[in-house]
Amino acid sequence: MRLLEFQAKKLFSEYGIPIPRGVLVRSKDDIGNLRFPVILKAQVPVGGRGKANAIRIAKQAEEAVAIAEELLNSNVKGWPVQALLAEEQVEIKQELFLALLIDKLANLPLIMVSTTGGIDIEEVAKKSPEKVIKKHLQPRVGLQDYIVRYLGKSIGLGDYLDGFRSIVNQVYAIFYDCDATLVEINPLAVSSNGLVALDAKILLDGKAAYRHDDLFAKLQEEQKQLVKSGKSVAEQLAEERDITYVPLDGNVGMISDGAGTGMLTLDLIQDTGGQAANFCELGGLAGPESMQRVLEVVLANPRVKVVLISLIGGLTRMDEMADGILHYLKQHGKSVPLMVRMCGTQEDVGKAKLRTVGIETFEDLETVVRTAVKLARES
Amino acid sequence: MAILIDTDTRVLVQGITGRVGSFQTKIMQDYGTKIAAGVTPGRGGMEVHGIPVYDFVEEALREHEVDATISFVPASFAKDAALEVIDSGIRFLVVTAEGIPDQDVLTIINYTVSKGAKVLGPDTPGLISPGKCKLGVHPHRMFTEGRVGVVSKSGALSYEVCRVLTKNGIGQSTVVGIGGGPLWGLSQQAVLKMFQEDAETEMIVLLGEVGGTTEQEAAAFIRGYMDKPVISLIAGCTAPKGAQMGHAGAIIEGEEGTAESKIRALREAGSLIAKSPSEIPTIIEKSRG
Repeated sequence: MRLLEFQAKKLFSEYGIPIPRGVLVRSKDDIGNLRFPVILKAQVPVGGRGKANAIRIAKQAEEAVAIAEELLNSNVKGWPVQALLAEEQVEIKQELFLALLIDKLANLPLIMVSTTGGIDIEEVAKKSPEKVIKKHLQPRVGLQDYIVRYLGKSIGLGDYLDGFRSIVNQVYAIFYDCDATLVEINPLAVSSNGLVALDAKILLDGKAAYRHDDLFAKLQEEQKQLVKSGKSVAEQLAEERDITYVPLDGNVGMISDGAGTGMLTLDLIQDTGGQAANFCELGGLAGPESMQRVLEVVLANPRVKVVLISLIGGLTRMDEMADGILHYLKQHGKSVPLMVRMCGTQEDVGKAKLRTVGIETFEDLETVVRTAVKLARES
Repeated sequence: MAILIDTDTRVLVQGITGRVGSFQTKIMQDYGTKIAAGVTPGRGGMEVHGIPVYDFVEEALREHEVDATISFVPASFAKDAALEVIDSGIRFLVVTAEGIPDQDVLTIINYTVSKGAKVLGPDTPGLISPGKCKLGVHPHRMFTEGRVGVVSKSGALSYEVCRVLTKNGIGQSTVVGIGGGPLWGLSQQAVLKMFQEDAETEMIVLLGEVGGTTEQEAAAFIRGYMDKPVISLIAGCTAPKGAQMGHAGAIIEGEEGTAESKIRALREAGSLIAKSPSEIPTIIEKSRG
């Protein structure tokens, strides 16, 4: 889960990481008593806002109102802007970069700093990787002071080391306390008042939501109020039901019981000259109710002409998948043809159940794909 | 033996009394896997399919010899269960749970490494050496004994491919699913290395998917160390950028992680590339000459 900037900054401030004085703006009159100049930043869950002209500076109140009005009616990379963060401008001597994330190749947390923070950090990392200083942390050892001092010296912090030490330690605390997979400050500004986090990016690990009371749920609820994405009915339904669903442009609805086979099925659909309407997979421990709920999601897309169900279960049981399909048909009837490829655990029972409603299953994936694509084209 | 497991491997099942654990234990047992004991905290003294259940791994080890474990413990308790196994001195564990928090996975992996043990997964179907031992949830009728090693990121994709291999009379030495999540213990290159050194494996099928850079790492390993043929298939050529394709790791971010970049790296490393499962038997026959 990606936090909006103001949510991440609220966490920063709770952990004592300095941030500029600011206020959340929902309408042009919310700017209040900030000291000008003020920076107005669109609160959308996407990077590259600076380059998309979604971060502006206002020198006085009138200008701020005009900019707020404009931004609140704009669209940033497909996201309609619902809220702004207005912040007092900080006088910047230097822009640093600081991030703590999980390095998936090393299976270790990785801390990175650079003196060349700002909007071009990705370019810098690619072109001159030596400008980004990296240190792995050992999970059982944690963040030791020599690492902080080493990082501080490598970016020539000098007088600011104490502030830096406190910020790095708090970033580390947020990372562990909140089950984050990324905490990033870019830029971390050197100002006359010390170090200030001008931006904040936090990714939380949704898999850990269960052990944080309602922290994740609250943040998510807040986002729902502030982020409108123009999602389709099927997408909204999938999101509510916590179903993996990626909308695509075609007319063959696709359901698989594994992510890898799902992607393979999409590739085969395209190779056969068809177009998938979506990617949708059931995940590891799916029961009959998941199959029914997933069918409802996929068929909420009116463009779907045929549904291709690609099942090859190990953990997933074919008898239960068949039950799910039967429950769906009983409640909703059959609006489009269901092409079922069924192999794996309990497949004989599953196939027999589907035969009772006249559904003959396929054995071979490539055959069912060809048949479904042909049917979609003809209908 | 094939790799990691063989006919003599003695297995302990964690979470054996649960719905899934009990169901899959029976299937493994019927397949011929030697299940020595089970563990579920609070259920010590029970029996499941004739297998004694203990409260703790250590208690089970007082009565039984165990070479490997498989865990069906739910995600929120999976770290505790895995650490208990590593502490007990068992050197190989399979963690099936999907959705374990990343920081728990890091703890499991790093503790395993520090103790010289190996962890397969999480979010893995496990592994199977057809005809010998099954330490996982594979629909085993699709598998048959033979000399092709298979290593896959995704479980179901390995079933798909092995089903086609089996239909074409091509058997498998061992089929390993490394795990669909963003983090995993045993890596593709670690498994490739074992296959390279395994006398019963003549060639390898590598099944990857979009997201991350693990196939690029595997490609570097293939170029440097493998002299057995490696046939690769990468799923997700048509996956849109930025969308998470089911597996937490399967997301194309920027140029990194595209199927194209993986296929290019593997091809340049000398791997043969298949576009669909049905092409693989032909490629295998060709490289057998």
